[in-house]
Amino acid sequence: MKKLIIGVFSALLLTTGGCDTDALHNLNINPQAPNTIDMNFLMTSAQLGTASGGSRGDNRFIDWRTNMGVCAHAIQQLANTGGGIASGDKYIDNFEANAAPWEFLYNDVLQNLAEIIRQTGKGGFEEGRRVNMRQAARILRAYNFQRLTDYYGNIPYDEAIKGVSDGLFFPKYTPQSSIYADLLKEVSEATTALSTSAPDEGFAAADLFYGGDITKWKKFGNSLLLRMAMRVSNVDVAKANQYVTQAIAGGLMTQVSDMARIKMATGPSQWTNQNGISRAFLAGDGGQPSPLSATLVNWLKTKNDPRLMIYSGGIGGKDKVAANQKGLPNGLDATTLQTFLGKAGTNPMEEFSIVNPKLLDIDDDYVFMNYSEVELLWAEAAERKIGGATDAAGHYAKGVKAALQQWSNFDASLSVSNASADNYVTANPYKGLESIGEQMWAAKFMNWWEAWADWRRTGFPKLVPVNYPNNITNGTIPRKLRVPTGEVASNGANFNAGGTLPNELTTRVWWDGGK
Amino acid sequence: MNKNNYQKILSLLLLFTASLSMTFAQDVLVKGKVSEDNGNLIYGVNVTQKGSSKGTSTNDKGEYSITVKKGVTITFSYIGFKPKDVVVGNNTTIDVSLSPDAAVLNEVVVTALGVSREKRALQYAVTEVAGENFTKARVNNLGNALSGRVAGVNVTSPSTGPGGSSRVIIRGNKTLGGANQPLYVIDGVPMDNSQQGTAGLWGGADQGDGLSSLNPDDIESITVLKGANAAALYGSRGGNGVINITTKKGTKRKGLGIEFASNYVAEKIIDQNETQHIYGQGNYINGVATAPTTIQQSSDWGLQGWGPKMDGRQVIGVDGVQRPYTDAGNNFTRFYNTGSAATNSIAFTGGNGQQNFRLSLADLRSSGILPNSGFDRTNVSVSTDSKFGKKLTLTGKILYSKEKAKNRPNVSDSPGNANESVWRLPANINIEDTKGDPDKPGAIPASFSPATLAFGKRAVGNELLSNYSDFWGSNAYWSSYQYNNTSKRDRVTASAQLKYDITDFLFATGRVSTDTYYTKQESLTPQGTGYNGGGNINEYFQLNSENNIDGMLGYHDNFGKISVSSFVGANQQRGKFERISASGSGFSVPFFHALNVSNNRNFGYGFSESGINSVYGSAEVGYDNYFFLTATARKDWFSILNPASNSILYPSIGGSFVFTDAFRTKMPDWFTFGKLRASWAQVGLTGNLGAYQTTQPYGLNSATHLGINMASFANKGTIANPLLSPALSTEIEFGADLKFFNGKLGLDIGVYNQTTTDDILNATISQASGFQSTSVNVGKMQNKGVEILLSGSPIRTNDFEWDVSLNFAKNNNKVISLIEGSTELVFEESRTRTTYIKHIVGNQYGTITGVTQKMINGQPVFNAEGLPVRNDNYETIGSSVASFTGGINNNFSYKGFNLSFLIDFKVGGNIHSGTNQRLDQWGFSQNSLQGRDGEAPLSISGVNEKGEPLKLTLTPNQARNYWNALGDRNAAAYIYSASFAKIRQLTFGYNLPSKTVSKTPFQAIGFSIVARNLAVLWKKIPNIDPESTYSFNGGAQGLEYFALPATRNIGLNLNVTF
Repeated sequence: MKKLIIGVFSALLLTTGGCDTDALHNLNINPQAPNTIDMNFLMTSAQLGTASGGSRGDNRFIDWRTNMGVCAHAIQQLANTGGGIASGDKYIDNFEANAAPWEFLYNDVLQNLAEIIRQTGKGGFEEGRRVNMRQAARILRAYNFQRLTDYYGNIPYDEAIKGVSDGLFFPKYTPQSSIYADLLKEVSEATTALSTSAPDEGFAAADLFYGGDITKWKKFGNSLLLRMAMRVSNVDVAKANQYVTQAIAGGLMTQVSDMARIKMATGPSQWTNQNGISRAFLAGDGGQPSPLSATLVNWLKTKNDPRLMIYSGGIGGKDKVAANQKGLPNGLDATTLQTFLGKAGTNPMEEFSIVNPKLLDIDDDYVFMNYSEVELLWAEAAERKIGGATDAAGHYAKGVKAALQQWSNFDASLSVSNASADNYVTANPYKGLESIGEQMWAAKFMNWWEAWADWRRTGFPKLVPVNYPNNITNGTIPRKLRVPTGEVASNGANFNAGGTLPNELTTRVWWDGGK
Repeated sequence: MNKNNYQKILSLLLLFTASLSMTFAQDVLVKGKVSEDNGNLIYGVNVTQKGSSKGTSTNDKGEYSITVKKGVTITFSYIGFKPKDVVVGNNTTIDVSLSPDAAVLNEVVVTALGVSREKRALQYAVTEVAGENFTKARVNNLGNALSGRVAGVNVTSPSTGPGGSSRVIIRGNKTLGGANQPLYVIDGVPMDNSQQGTAGLWGGADQGDGLSSLNPDDIESITVLKGANAAALYGSRGGNGVINITTKKGTKRKGLGIEFASNYVAEKIIDQNETQHIYGQGNYINGVATAPTTIQQSSDWGLQGWGPKMDGRQVIGVDGVQRPYTDAGNNFTRFYNTGSAATNSIAFTGGNGQQNFRLSLADLRSSGILPNSGFDRTNVSVSTDSKFGKKLTLTGKILYSKEKAKNRPNVSDSPGNANESVWRLPANINIEDTKGDPDKPGAIPASFSPATLAFGKRAVGNELLSNYSDFWGSNAYWSSYQYNNTSKRDRVTASAQLKYDITDFLFATGRVSTDTYYTKQESLTPQGTGYNGGGNINEYFQLNSENNIDGMLGYHDNFGKISVSSFVGANQQRGKFERISASGSGFSVPFFHALNVSNNRNFGYGFSESGINSVYGSAEVGYDNYFFLTATARKDWFSILNPASNSILYPSIGGSFVFTDAFRTKMPDWFTFGKLRASWAQVGLTGNLGAYQTTQPYGLNSATHLGINMASFANKGTIANPLLSPALSTEIEFGADLKFFNGKLGLDIGVYNQTTTDDILNATISQASGFQSTSVNVGKMQNKGVEILLSGSPIRTNDFEWDVSLNFAKNNNKVISLIEGSTELVFEESRTRTTYIKHIVGNQYGTITGVTQKMINGQPVFNAEGLPVRNDNYETIGSSVASFTGGINNNFSYKGFNLSFLIDFKVGGNIHSGTNQRLDQWGFSQNSLQGRDGEAPLSISGVNEKGEPLKLTLTPNQARNYWNALGDRNAAAYIYSASFAKIRQLTFGYNLPSKTVSKTPFQAIGFSIVARNLAVLWKKIPNIDPESTYSFNGGAQGLEYFALPATRNIGLNLNVTF
């Protein structure tokens, strides 16, 4: 009997080797997911992701919560009588508005861009290939990181997006000054490295920005470099000088059609392919009930600005007589609105000028940078004698004209003729920094996060803050977003050691005079 | 004379003889003494006349006397002893001695892999719960019926309605990742008890688990294998303990046995809301509480209770109708229905010993307390066993269930959560006034005046909202009637087993089994919903399947005083998941909600496969039936791990020593049985790891853009880790099983020390890493605890019996280390977004952390308006897990009557109540009365931001702002103790005396009344039930946000046996 038992045990022990079979291992090969893929697919995904998270499958979130909810209201281009969804109107707290860019950019577009850069870099399976796509990825990476650091100040940068490559799960924070130094270096290097003679390797078909037009990419790269250099011009003159010089020498955007934008589409998925800004305004879809702000409408009216009826779709969408347009003052709630109007039972979307629906088609272009901005920044550099720029008035005139004419791609009826644009410039001539600041503000309608950054840096236009009871900024316009609670909770030690503190809307980032 | 006539005459003769003996039988007084074999007299022995209810019991000197007729049989019975029958003859003094009943001391239980073992030989703690506890309790989910019954088993049964899940944790959480539920095994077949979906931060519904598929009438018993030691033979799957379910089977009997059971249970909410009914709808205008005077105000303030004192004036509603401004009464009892559940089951059993079978059918129809919700289930089960010759036994079992859950309630975040909508109504609003269109509850009816409709761009048929500037506060009727959240499931659990007795000491078994289920799930947000005007629909079909092949060779023999039992075996397990889903948004045909008429349609496909190959063996050596030593080993090979290190060996060793048998002559007589046990074991845990997590492949995005393909990582959220290995749980356990006074008193005590190392954790990481989480082997966690089961039979007379058992368990959990370089990991976030459940080194699993008020020198900091100033960091504010759990069971029998009740309690956990925070913010709570105009003022005392003393009496407006801001600035204000004691179950039953039954065609008839969750005896949290957690995810334990109210069930059972 003992022999039998021993025999059985040893038989089992012998068969144990047979338990570790290939059939068992093969079960763990995912039949639905490849281990290599055309990097161009990631590039298209990253470009759509740059358009406010489309590739993450919730394209309206950042625009709704942050671009509109905070920025557009804080800089008084939109106004809202409601509560949390437009937290920038009254300077109140909104967790989602604070969290949206952080949650969407790191975990989506930046992840894809980091992977492109990794696989086309040393040791990657595309090493040495796809030269131009790699450089475009570096430029887009810098573009998205700039957006993040402008929102939050010090953020994980040097150690960011290294979860897959280095197993870094809790990255340390990099000071904004160092981030900007590296962003400027990256954009200048990548722009230089873009080569019209490099093979296309599928980039043209994948490139939603310029269809693989490397000359336009170089213009965009240099224009972004100008934007970044001017952003730090108040606190790091040397860097501003260096890179403004380089950007101008490298070749900036020269016409409205050089703008950085991507085309959006109606489908197949509303969450992926449609324009997130348009979607966020769609009534019946939780739409943003924000009319135009009185500040913007009044500014346009005093300037007799043709953009009044480009931006406005009429009072309640009906009364389209320019002289009758009326913006909603910021900082009102449903009750104080009644006092303001002297009547009850009103819906602000019926009483005030609303955003022109022609700008809000669900397949309208998503714009990242306009030619008008380039000329206006150039004018500012000339005025402030940065980087050897000259002819402030000339660049101002070009910039303002372009700002009037940059809307025709939304709808042909929104075009402004050369003559009327020239008349407008004549009527509103160059008057120094304030005129540049105000025009930049007006030009960046819908590009509100940028307009907010410009306002923080230049102080123009001179906005009168609201002072709503229960606001959390002591009645001042917010200067940054709060780092989201999820990050503070999960990466608290690094945040406390290196974040921009205190974690309040009133704290200034480095280029805004903070630490 | 033919045979028939002969029989008739014989019967007549017999009858005559019987009546003669009855006629002449005389009453005699029988007396005597009852003792044990060793001469000790026994008190309380039942002395009954067989076949009648006549009886008495012995006094403290062991004496009895009873008047009976000559010739009858008297039965002497006493717990722990074999009963003895004596026929009354001429001798009227009958002294008897009773022998101990070995059965009491030689209980057999089902252990790992379905092996039956004598309890005395077990080196670990097991607890068996008889099937009748489940049939009586009549809860739809069996897991909930375990609540309070087994020491060390912590059942969380959240309020998510019929067909909901239950969370069963044995001896504490062993893995940080949340996969802490035990393995369920039905007759040797592992059952997939996966959660099919649960509510999270942004809402959702509990989609049920596997246990809700089972028919309680099919269950013979449930054995809980608590520790690693008991479950070591299950390898990686037994790390959280095992719940072994044995179903009923046919036995040898005469004719066909029929058991019929019918049951009806009614369910009502336990209304625990303590909201204020003094101040109505309204808002503070220029610091003055104002009631709405316009439709717009009524809409804007529709969800605010900051109006003035209700004084009967007329106020306008969103529908334009003027109603008096008075307390509208209790909306909870108005809105929630009386739920009901009717179960009918019938079972047929039969057999001749060679061929036995059991066939059962059961049907459950139920409707929930939430209008338009319900859960229906049909079960069919067949069990057969056949012996072929003396050596071969074939067993086959099929359990089939068909379930339909209609509108599983949405909980947590608001849209679709009707519960929140009920809470959100100000005191002057009658919820029935929000019902709107009677044919389409919750929708705006055509009868609304055009003037009303013009406001807020509303349309007839759209959701009738109380607040048109806040789309997120939904209409309760719309949520329950117009939303659709239906799932259907067909499940088969089947096995076939062959057992061959090679010799009388050697046997072989082989078994194949499957547990396969198809789920069809549909969830609809209808067109016209406030926050989602277009509406959307999601549907999927899903297959979950697990197949097992087992082979085992067993050996048992005795060599003199030495006994040897051993077996070796092998197992192959394969699991498969497949899902085809489709979604559509924006419906083209008004109020026709089908996928094919949606404007944007998407599809999805999910697939995964995994497997484990295993070999195992066990050897037990016994000496003289009082000393046993058992060693087991199992090796698992996993498909989901990197082939370079994909296997692990799990050993266990333990012994048991029945010292009362070893030293019988030296032990006092009252010390009936005593056993000491000790064991050590290692098992694995891979529950937090799924397939394909060791590589980071790419995936094509489901949508293209302008026809261009897009891709990213297949799993954008989680970083793959090729170096993962299974977590290891090492447990050492000591225990004693003691019985006194022939089993009248019993004590089972166990202590354990369990450590999990290399835990596989889906850890929340900084999103700046590019990902949200990663699967890593991390750290170390420890559970130390003690479990005590005390059972007794204090009273046991002929007619009356009282059995009581008390179980309790204390578990101390400690996180010892986490990921290198990190002492904290985020696990879950609350809907209020002020609270995170974290694992923190040095703390218990699941620490609740939150925003807290800033303190300077121990003084709370307030701003000039009296609002709390918050800290930037998250402070520890509670613990989400109860450390002390238990229950008290009492059972009283008097003749045919039976009364039992179960009280269960949990002590030590906390809950962050999002409901209470919102009630303060909205002005509905008692708290929010403080500081209003007309109430006692609210004062704060502390320091300002410079640390200077600050005392303020807040104006009503400031007080309102204070209540509005408190939760966002100090989450600790909404941390409550989750401790409670409840009368979990009370049953009162009556079995008709056999005398009465014998006149009917039935063999037994019984009735019982059952009440579940009869009363909350003790709790420390206002407004809500302490068991109101919304999620089964281990992380969200301790978070609460507008759950379905707790319910009380009362039901009637009828059991008939033919």
